[in-house]
Amino acid sequence: MSVLPSTRVYEGTRIPRPVPTILEVDPDKHRLEDILRVNFGPNHPSTHGVLRLVVDLDGETVAGIRAVIGYLHTGFEKNMEHKSWWKSVTYAPRMDYVAFHANELLYVLAIEKLLGLEVPRRAVWARMALAELNRIHSHLVWLGTSALELGAISLFWYCFDDRDQILDLFEMAGGTRMHTRYVQVGGIAEDLPPGFTEEARTFCETMPKSVDDYEAILDRNAIWLERTKGVGLLSADDALALAQSGPMLRASGVDWDLRRNMPYLAYDEVEFDVPVYPNGDVYDRYRVHMDEMRESVRILSQCLDKLDETDGEPWIADDRKVVLPPRHELHTSMESLIHHFKIVTEGFTVPEGEVYVAIESPRGEAGCYLVSDGGARPWRVKFRAPSFAALQATATIVQELLIADLIAAAGSLDPVMGDADR
Amino acid sequence: MSDRPLAKAGLNSERVLWPERGPGVFEREVQEIEDALLLTTVEKAVAWAQTNAMWPDTFGLACCAIEMMSIVSSRYDIARFGMERFSSSPRQADLLIVSGRVTHKMAPPLRQVYDQMLEPKWVIAMGACASSGGMFNNYTILQGVDKIVPVDIHVPGCPPRPEALMEGIVRLHEKIRGGVPPAYAIRGVAE
Amino acid sequence: MVETRQSLDEVTLVVDPARLVEASAALRDDHGFNFLADIAGADYLGWAEQEVVGYIGTAAGRDLNDPGSRGLARIPDPKPKRFSVSYHLLRVADDPARVRVQVWLDDGESIASLIDVWPAADWFEREVWDMFGIGFEGHGNLVRILMPEDWEGFPLRKDYPLGGEPVRFSDED
Repeated sequence: MSVLPSTRVYEGTRIPRPVPTILEVDPDKHRLEDILRVNFGPNHPSTHGVLRLVVDLDGETVAGIRAVIGYLHTGFEKNMEHKSWWKSVTYAPRMDYVAFHANELLYVLAIEKLLGLEVPRRAVWARMALAELNRIHSHLVWLGTSALELGAISLFWYCFDDRDQILDLFEMAGGTRMHTRYVQVGGIAEDLPPGFTEEARTFCETMPKSVDDYEAILDRNAIWLERTKGVGLLSADDALALAQSGPMLRASGVDWDLRRNMPYLAYDEVEFDVPVYPNGDVYDRYRVHMDEMRESVRILSQCLDKLDETDGEPWIADDRKVVLPPRHELHTSMESLIHHFKIVTEGFTVPEGEVYVAIESPRGEAGCYLVSDGGARPWRVKFRAPSFAALQATATIVQELLIADLIAAAGSLDPVMGDADR
Repeated sequence: MSDRPLAKAGLNSERVLWPERGPGVFEREVQEIEDALLLTTVEKAVAWAQTNAMWPDTFGLACCAIEMMSIVSSRYDIARFGMERFSSSPRQADLLIVSGRVTHKMAPPLRQVYDQMLEPKWVIAMGACASSGGMFNNYTILQGVDKIVPVDIHVPGCPPRPEALMEGIVRLHEKIRGGVPPAYAIRGVAE
Repeated sequence: MVETRQSLDEVTLVVDPARLVEASAALRDDHGFNFLADIAGADYLGWAEQEVVGYIGTAAGRDLNDPGSRGLARIPDPKPKRFSVSYHLLRVADDPARVRVQVWLDDGESIASLIDVWPAADWFEREVWDMFGIGFEGHGNLVRILMPEDWEGFPLRKDYPLGGEPVRFSDED
């Protein structure tokens, strides 16, 4: 469980000064008359969403860069302050729209921590299973789009085909493919349907073979190796200083995973390994993503075993002040009717306090800082977006790269603009 | 002016400019073909050609973009409509699928991309956020992309299933083949 | 340090704004908090002022622009000043730990930037400036990051309206 970096990628620090996120053209290395300022505008063909990079080019070399975000700022935090606790959960998955269960889970965990609510075991395992499926989903989207940008176009279709299988599982459980709003305060909204674990187990058997296929396509491909090895270097010290987390950090040699080091849900009861690679380049980040997909399948099959064991147990907490009572009770019990009325009209209230909860989303550490005033609506919700932090590293990793490598490096940061802009 | 279909499509030929002379060999042969088929006029043929390979522009903004990417995937194959070539250059695109929420900061680039497209061009507002602002009724989201670009088809959903987007695209095709002009010709932008 | 609070197994250190850089450097060097996870601002205007208990909203419907229409069971304790900026720190080491450093400010006050202590503070501080209008001295590039550059007003303040369009039939009797 050592978290010390294992190798040095480069000496010293490459973080630009005085502003860490703006790389200024160095007049000693480039003649200023040669510099061409190019705008990789908010609408560009690589599918990261609306990221704008203002790049100073000396020929094909990147001499200066500045990332401009905010083209997808949706005002989530302000909107959530005006909705009741129950309704504000629908806003959360639409931030990081590729890892939607992670965001929902994060927000709901924060509310449950303030409430002090204990979630039944079956719901914990169901949440973990969905979170790991979501991790595989996010990595597949990342792999498909990154490979598409670097030219391995066929991988897009393979990855999205697997992704459709995962979305079928989400649809089975939650009713819709994306943004299922299935994670609820107290547990999960409805019990997992019968047949879910069998379908998921079939998926667990086919997925590792798919990962092997992807590696077979890419790992010995000379073009892929040329384009990703040694590109986008980030040392461990710089990564920690720039608040990188998740695959970015693990590819730079720091052995840190919130699921293992600061476990939440039931991650301390499952066995999995955490892939760490020392070189801090795009190739290592790719390897971390691939290995994480395999580890997620491992965790998923263990969760499915536990789900089979807990079959028939409650899937949502019993606390009627927070959770809706089952409908059949409304006909017979007066208290249930009153609870139902209070929860649906006013919403439940969360005791006063502030809390910060972080989980390991597929992009890194996603955190939620929640302030409640004891009322029926949140007072302040602040999401710590891993993509926001990852984009801060743009200026550090693209130094002296060519344009084509810039695309590879920016893709390896795995930014999702909904997350970065909130 | 003659009311034969070729004239309506703008063809200035002998029999249009010189009505007393009568049709030339070419026009007579086309006339015979039209009379024999009784089905296709030039407009219908043009509409058929427009719909069969309508190239969308890559304007994926948010969650709907992920579902838009999945119609390119093999299960909801959009290549059967000839639309798998998403062109990044708006100059080569026919269809702008606005997928996702549009902020005030993103609105000028959106309008710029729309202006760069060449006529005929169509716009699909995909999802609730593009159609009307969706669940985000706040200071930063444009309440419906039809405030800045004229929209042909609104596809509801949050996000709409790939099949729903397909239905929107198919209905757009039906509109075009039915002869409905693109939105910029019949309506402006909303207030 | 001014005060230490602990609740729900989280430690919050409330620090005097003038000694923020000192405190942060001490936390980073002596206690090993090498990871700045988040900088979160919060506006407490209107905290604990309304005491409507029961159905939230008015008879005519819910006024989205009114921050005070919430049902409170008891009035919470008042806050020292209007704005708080919380720095969430993490120790990435074999003995992981989290801590929150909080400073309290009034409208118009500004604090020192922590960009030299943790370079990751750059964009987080820009976001706090953009959303709340809290200035950071020594930042070097304090421009708007999420809103368009020429936007007026600070959106996440409580006296800034939610905006958007009025929805039909929602305010009529």
